[in-house]
Amino acid sequence: MVRYMKLYWHFFAAQVKVMTEYWVDFIIGFMSVFFIQFTSVYFIKVVFDHIDVLNGWTFYEILFIYGIASTGRSIHQIFFDNLWLVGRDYIRTGNFDRLLIRPLNPLFHLIADKVQQDGVGNLVLGTILLGISMNHLAFDWGFWDIVLLIVMVISSGLIYSGINLFFVTFSFWMVDSFPLMQTAFNVSQFARYPLTIYSKPIRIILTWVVPYGFTSFYPATLFTGHKNYTTLALITPAVAAIICVIAYGFWIIGLRAYTSTGN
Amino acid sequence: MIEVKDLSKDYIILKRKPGLSGAIRSLFIREKEIKQAVDHISFEIKPGEVVGYIGPNGAGKSTTIKMLCGILTPSHGEIRVNGVVPYQNRKQNAINIGAVYGQRTQLFWDIPVRESYELLRHIYEIPKNDFEARMKHFTEYLNLGPILDIPVRQLSLGQKMRCELAASFLHNPAVVFLDEPTIGLDVAVKENIRKFIREMNHLYGTTVILTTHDMEDIEQLCQRIIIIDNGSILYDGDLVAVKERFGHQRTIHFEMPQTDHFKLPASLESTVDVAEITESRVSLLFSSRDIKGAEVIAIMMAEYEVNDLTIKDTSIETIVKEIYERGI
Ligand SMILES: Nc1ncnc2c1ncn2[C@@H]1O[C@H](COP(=O)(O)OP(=O)(O)OP(=O)(O)O)[C@@H](O)[C@H]1O
Ligand SMILES: [Mg+2]
Repeated sequence: MVRYMKLYWHFFAAQVKVMTEYWVDFIIGFMSVFFIQFTSVYFIKVVFDHIDVLNGWTFYEILFIYGIASTGRSIHQIFFDNLWLVGRDYIRTGNFDRLLIRPLNPLFHLIADKVQQDGVGNLVLGTILLGISMNHLAFDWGFWDIVLLIVMVISSGLIYSGINLFFVTFSFWMVDSFPLMQTAFNVSQFARYPLTIYSKPIRIILTWVVPYGFTSFYPATLFTGHKNYTTLALITPAVAAIICVIAYGFWIIGLRAYTSTGN
Repeated sequence: MIEVKDLSKDYIILKRKPGLSGAIRSLFIREKEIKQAVDHISFEIKPGEVVGYIGPNGAGKSTTIKMLCGILTPSHGEIRVNGVVPYQNRKQNAINIGAVYGQRTQLFWDIPVRESYELLRHIYEIPKNDFEARMKHFTEYLNLGPILDIPVRQLSLGQKMRCELAASFLHNPAVVFLDEPTIGLDVAVKENIRKFIREMNHLYGTTVILTTHDMEDIEQLCQRIIIIDNGSILYDGDLVAVKERFGHQRTIHFEMPQTDHFKLPASLESTVDVAEITESRVSLLFSSRDIKGAEVIAIMMAEYEVNDLTIKDTSIETIVKEIYERGI
């Protein structure tokens, strides 16, 4: 474990070094992600210029949910972005073999191979949104609340990554499962808003099938006036752990298929 | 060092009929075709040997090497590389082996070569002193100095291959697998790479398994060759014996405007075989012991109109064909 953490640091440092050399790329990536997300937030603002409360949710509550989603997503994007490319850049080209001839866990190697700088845009925007909305929520922030919030954000990132990992694993059988991943990921866009605005079937899907509801909505309710989801909110880290375990198990099965069939 | 016993690999290929209806049908009825890429092969390789693993396209060379690296699980049989069963103990095996695949890179695409090596140092936990000594040596030998600060994706094929080679020897593995390391390279780089492999073998006693379609690679590097075709081993033994048997084989391709009525000139009948006739080309096969190439050419030119001609030494493909037809 310690060895892998040290190794990750070396992978990370090597890539950051390159990024600082290509800082123009960095700025462009950062800005584009930032502005795409900013547009969505601005849209929420426009809606709230006409109404005060949406389905029982105030502007700042929705901003807060959005903020958790963005920071959670940024963890996924910065650290686990390479998952998207498993089919296209690794399996189809045969480059996946490279991960198998190193004295490392192949999944670790895959993830450490890429630090996605564009994710910083999401991270900054998410943090700003959280900062602004936290001040306007009727909630008394103590030290442990902040810690809890951070735990929730990390769980959110792991849920995004776990679901992504699950769907990318299909690449071992279908060469490139990118469309599947894309579809699953699009579903996550729904979860950036209060789930109560959706019909029941969609809520159930977002809670129990592809549990994106836990990436922001449920944990956010802990810090707002909406107290009827406390249990669901508190199991968020457990959900994250379960998702990761299931996804990793599935990945191992996929890996075994790969080593028996080749690319 | 390497023990392979009764090793097989079957690929299962799912057949799909074209079109949407075919795609839907294949969801329910899966037509399988089994391709036996490696078919019950056995061999043993001793420490420090440099072995040429050769055969025509699709013979099963890369498949064997992937199994030795632990990338593929065998369908049948046993493998031991330096005492380790590769597919059961992939990480342990990885420490003992180095690998180069001519067609793709082992290095880190976006980061400079030097940093790639630094990462490999951490991955393989190479002591800093050893690492630096080896780096210095490799840089000199493969002339890496000018390219160390360039990201891998910007390197030419030859530059990349030299870097790959250094990377595969960096952790001083007991065995190195080189799958077509000289493919697509110019003569100078090929020469450089061969020299390096020889040097590594001498200095560290590294065992090397090399696949290639270039006879020159084999002649310069290997004492022993294993010839595989269609998944089975045709020959395993001394290179010298094969060369004595086949090294004098020559093929001459004659480009001709007309081949319809071609008939081998009577004076060549006892010494020359017709290897192939196409619309515009006649290929003749003979042994330089029986008849001189110049003589064959002169006789052909006297009887037929010839536009152009090329002379080929024995290729691996013709050796395999010969062994097939006549035995060793
Ligand atoms: N992943 C795969 N799935 C199905 N069939 C495969 C796969 N990989 C290789 N094959 C088949 O197995 C046979 C052996 O292939 P292999 O790549 O081992 O040949 P090779 O000797 O390395 O050839 P080359 O000289 O062209 O590199 C070929 O017929 C090939 O089509
Ligand atoms: Mg091959």
